[in-house]
Amino acid sequence: MHAQAAADSLPMTGTPESRSLAAGQLVQQATGGDLDAFEELVRRFQRRVYGFAYQHLRDFDEAYDLTQEIFVKLFRNLARYDATRPFEPWFWKLAANTTINYRRRRVPTPTDQSADHALTGTEVVLPAHDPALVDALAQLDPAYRLPVLLHYYADLPLEQVAQTLNLTVPAIKSRLHRARAMLRNTLAESEETGLR
Amino acid sequence: MTTTLACARVRVLLEAYVDGDLAVTDMKSARAVREHLVGCADCRRQHEQAVSLPFRMRALRSPAPPESLIASVISSIAPAPTASRSAWGLLVPEAILGAFILWYLSGIDGLTALTSGAWTDLQRLAFWGSGGSPLPSIPVADVLLLSAFIALTALAAYHLSVLARLEQSGTHQLREHRRA
Repeated sequence: MHAQAAADSLPMTGTPESRSLAAGQLVQQATGGDLDAFEELVRRFQRRVYGFAYQHLRDFDEAYDLTQEIFVKLFRNLARYDATRPFEPWFWKLAANTTINYRRRRVPTPTDQSADHALTGTEVVLPAHDPALVDALAQLDPAYRLPVLLHYYADLPLEQVAQTLNLTVPAIKSRLHRARAMLRNTLAESEETGLR
Repeated sequence: MTTTLACARVRVLLEAYVDGDLAVTDMKSARAVREHLVGCADCRRQHEQAVSLPFRMRALRSPAPPESLIASVISSIAPAPTASRSAWGLLVPEAILGAFILWYLSGIDGLTALTSGAWTDLQRLAFWGSGGSPLPSIPVADVLLLSAFIALTALAAYHLSVLARLEQSGTHQLREHRRA
């Protein structure tokens, strides 16, 4: 199903007008029922959202399902977006909540479906870029993994991560410090194990 | 005066130290961590790890989304295609109107009556135009036939537009499918 997962370039099919618009304008047009504008919005965010979902779930099919769910939820909630505020924190809050709910509903899967496991059939083998870190992230509690992914992976500033997770900036900083300390310990342990 | 810190304490403070937050909130501890790092090789390794970790996380790559993702999202939010059902539904009134017209014109008698009736109506209309006779009365059946023709033409035009739209959306779906 995901044989194309490694493809880097995606065809640009949105209208030339929609491609030059800011996310906020696209949202306004999409709220008015413009599907081309919404398609362009999905195109702009799909890579980060899919990557975020994949790093959080570490399963191609689940990442695909979650990404789709996030965008469908976005479409259904477009009317609730306050155009006077920045779009990204609102969007990532929706994405984070959808992710939390998705995890709650999710049937636990074995943790051996890592990025570097070889997929069968027509699917591609994707070597993990930093397998030790990917494994360490997978071991992190979701309450810590979510802010880490939002800040370092989705590249949201601390203020936006705080808004997204309904926490204060100092609380987010503290959580990120603890998360990084845990990652560091896990990485040190795995290095020691590797040396033995 | 400097404070001596144990390795365990240093490692708890490392991230805040690396981010510069410790120097802002607790300068004394920040200085103590720095001094500890000078003399402790194990903690220095941990410090290096703490410095590089944010860069490693930012550099983390993930697989690109499958190309079918956008089409899949759009098809999930697009309204269900009801046009095909309405296209078939249009066949019912068209069939009734067609059957009525065929019934009216059925047999040579009906056709002869229609032709002669139309000819007589035209003659009466011409006389009425020249002021030689009153406005001819039109048979009810002819009015019904004419209405049926008009309705059938309008329905057929609408039907064709529905079919054209269906073809367009079919082509779009096919394009999306090929793209996927």
